[in-house]
Amino acid sequence: MNTSQIQELQNIFGKEEVLTEPEDLLVYGYDASPVEITPEVVVFAKTTEHVSELLKFAYREEIPVTPRGQGSGLSGGSIPHKSGIVLSMDKMNKILHIDPENRLITVEAGLTTSEIDPAIAKFNLFYPPDPGSVSFSSIGGNVAENAGGLRGLKYGVTKNYVKEMKVVLPQGNIVTIGSKCVKHVAGFNMESVFVGAEGLLGVVTEITLALMPIPAHRESALAIFTTLRDAAQCVSDIIAAGVTPSTLEFIDNKAINAIQDFKDCGLPRDAEAVLIIECDGEEHSAKAEMAKVEKMTEKNKVRKFKIAQSAGERDNLFEGRRVCLNALASVRPNLILEDATVLRSQLPEIVAGVSQLAEKYKLDIGLFGHAGDGNMHPTFLYDAKDADETARVHEAVKELFQLAIDLGGTISGEHGIGLEKKPFLADQIGNEGIALLQAVKKTLDPKNLLNPGKMFDMPQDTVQAA
Amino acid sequence: MHIQKNIQEQARQHLAEATKEFDKCMKCGKCRNVCPVFKELGNEIFSARGKNKLAEKLVAGDIEITARVKQAINECLNCKTCAANCPAGVKPEEVVLRMRWYITTKEGLHWFKALLFRQLLWRKWPITLGAKMVGLAQRSFFGIGPNNPVRHLFPLFGFSKRRFFPEMALKTGQSLYPEVIPAKGKKKMRVGYFTGCAGNLIYTNVVTSVVEILTACGYEVVIPKKQRCNGTPVLANGDYEGARRLMQFNYDLFQSYDLDAIVVACSSCGLALKKEIKQFVEGSPELEAFTGKVYDIHEFIENNITFEEGDLGKLPYKVSYHDPCHLVRGQGVREQPRNILKRIPGVEFHEMKDAAVCCGSAGSYCITHYDTAIKIDNHKVKNIQDAHVDYVATGCPTCIMHIQDNLKQHESPEKMRYVVEMLADSLRAGGKIK
Repeated sequence: MNTSQIQELQNIFGKEEVLTEPEDLLVYGYDASPVEITPEVVVFAKTTEHVSELLKFAYREEIPVTPRGQGSGLSGGSIPHKSGIVLSMDKMNKILHIDPENRLITVEAGLTTSEIDPAIAKFNLFYPPDPGSVSFSSIGGNVAENAGGLRGLKYGVTKNYVKEMKVVLPQGNIVTIGSKCVKHVAGFNMESVFVGAEGLLGVVTEITLALMPIPAHRESALAIFTTLRDAAQCVSDIIAAGVTPSTLEFIDNKAINAIQDFKDCGLPRDAEAVLIIECDGEEHSAKAEMAKVEKMTEKNKVRKFKIAQSAGERDNLFEGRRVCLNALASVRPNLILEDATVLRSQLPEIVAGVSQLAEKYKLDIGLFGHAGDGNMHPTFLYDAKDADETARVHEAVKELFQLAIDLGGTISGEHGIGLEKKPFLADQIGNEGIALLQAVKKTLDPKNLLNPGKMFDMPQDTVQAA
Repeated sequence: MHIQKNIQEQARQHLAEATKEFDKCMKCGKCRNVCPVFKELGNEIFSARGKNKLAEKLVAGDIEITARVKQAINECLNCKTCAANCPAGVKPEEVVLRMRWYITTKEGLHWFKALLFRQLLWRKWPITLGAKMVGLAQRSFFGIGPNNPVRHLFPLFGFSKRRFFPEMALKTGQSLYPEVIPAKGKKKMRVGYFTGCAGNLIYTNVVTSVVEILTACGYEVVIPKKQRCNGTPVLANGDYEGARRLMQFNYDLFQSYDLDAIVVACSSCGLALKKEIKQFVEGSPELEAFTGKVYDIHEFIENNITFEEGDLGKLPYKVSYHDPCHLVRGQGVREQPRNILKRIPGVEFHEMKDAAVCCGSAGSYCITHYDTAIKIDNHKVKNIQDAHVDYVATGCPTCIMHIQDNLKQHESPEKMRYVVEMLADSLRAGGKIK
């Protein structure tokens, strides 16, 4: 970019909010994915109008723009693939309005998701989606990736809570889509297109989210199994029995031992798998649900079923799950965390499949995840310095995706496609599916300047297209 | 020249070894929002993840030591919050310290720091004399209020004009007692006491408290008079050679006394003697035995001393506790000081919000980066005010200095104290300390 272009950016954002020093650019070229590409300039937006002016400028000058939240994404969504401008939303981080009567909150996109709950606790409300990165990701990033979390099975994912959004379209127009009303059918259901669009169709600057009343009671339990298959079958049976726990998490033997090495959370080292289960709601209904859960565990030869008797016991239980990834990370130098997702009835198949992959490719794979919604996290542990092992990991990951697709599942449940899974998307949605995405993208962003190169490539991957 | 080259090479290798740290980094960004500095400055380059990246690029030779790199590396409190939250077990503060050493060996230590660390701290007497002179000056301008013209002189010494200082002692803490202070009654143990500079030169009340508590409870206390700075500020400023010399000196000194235990009432001094010393003093079973008998004072009291009914007199105060970084994360001391406070009759203990979040003092950081340090401290002051207490007790002199300064600027009435000062007061009220 030339000096007059930089000058114009400084006029829009103010001198302080435009970074051009090489050291500053370096640290805006990565996220939690393995790719790293240095941008030419970084800007910090403070208003929706800033974003609009930026995108108009970028369109006129034909410079790619990559929006960025807190850079915690696992699929490379915030990597400036074509360099150009990184648009940091970090400084648009205010809570704009809390509306307890309608159970709504309106926030700016850069707000850290975990800051929502403390602000609304006094109204006895909470925001259910809780991705693992809830304390280090922004709500805008959660919307862009349609983030999930531990409560997905009962409470759904980000898309179920986005009511209204202010979006700056790729050419700079500002639109408000959706509605704060519980019901609305005025126009296309555009929210669904923009949530999970990974910043390809527009930059979300403000979001109105639906909130839920905090459940009166939580009933939590640990179920210990002697075989993987029993644990996985138990999950399918719990769902089939008509129970909807708020949490139904699976942890396999490798992950259990990694957790216990990392921090004593009271998990049995010799178990093949455990389930961490929580039912919430009114006390009697939560207890009744848990009783049904217990029956299903018995049916699947549970070794031990233990209901947490105190808040301390429950916290200890969840602590195990919370530190799981940390614990696995300390086993080997590197890891790849996947999020292939299947129908819940297919859980035993994907669990068995992962074991076979570990055996076939001679790899360490820790398996844990949101079993209750079919979203497992096979975690490949390896040493990136070992070229042979790294190659085997990549082969195994590829095979895992194909397995998920063959089982009628999806290659990504909650991390997004970005750069990481771009090569595999066509395997799942086909060339016609890709063509539809391309057509939508082209309608809004004919020059392919907003977060280009993510999710899929455009037919003529160049800015001269227009 | 040859020696300088040699040290440069050592520092380079030392930094290259830190690749073990950033190789583990998954770049998830969990260290960002927990970093007090990042929260105020908002630029990724000041986050632990950003600094790791700079270190990685520096080791790889992709970038040079530029002004921006130095600025980023100096924006670290060594509060260890990033390390405590890192899913992959990276110790970013270790990377930062190694970077500082590497930069120092490449560019030389600033003349003032060289003078301070290698001459004044090493020789000790100039610092002691200087502190006393400042103490005299402070008393003659009695009570340097917010509008005192003397404040215009502060920037000459690198301090902000707004700052409130504690009074320097006219009689040092170490000179208040003979080298060996006998136990009252039957001797249980012979305990060495590392006072730290702040206890010796500023807050001498902590020395009195520690000595009186321990001797009253049957411990002989030894204060080796030749003890010098533990090396923490020297290390934090990238002068590994200076730190090595001081740590070795104190190690040899304390080893020459026959001690059952060594107590420290300063969080950073304790961390240095327990852990940091291991990278400077040649490893040996003797070193292990030495570091194994170093205790933070709260830890020592909780492990060894049971107070009897009536020992402790009533202190009718509302009290909260602030966790110094180098106690809570540096040494894992969290409950002991709280337990001591809760045990004092009459004390109404109120846990403040975010007690373990850094106050921003961080030794010399709050001198060189006063504005950011105060912004960080403003959260602490707010949480103290919300706790509605008379006193905030803690175990770190720089936390006391920094928080007290900012409380005064907010015209807030709460007072900072050492936990052991309050315990000694209670023992005096109970008649155990006569």
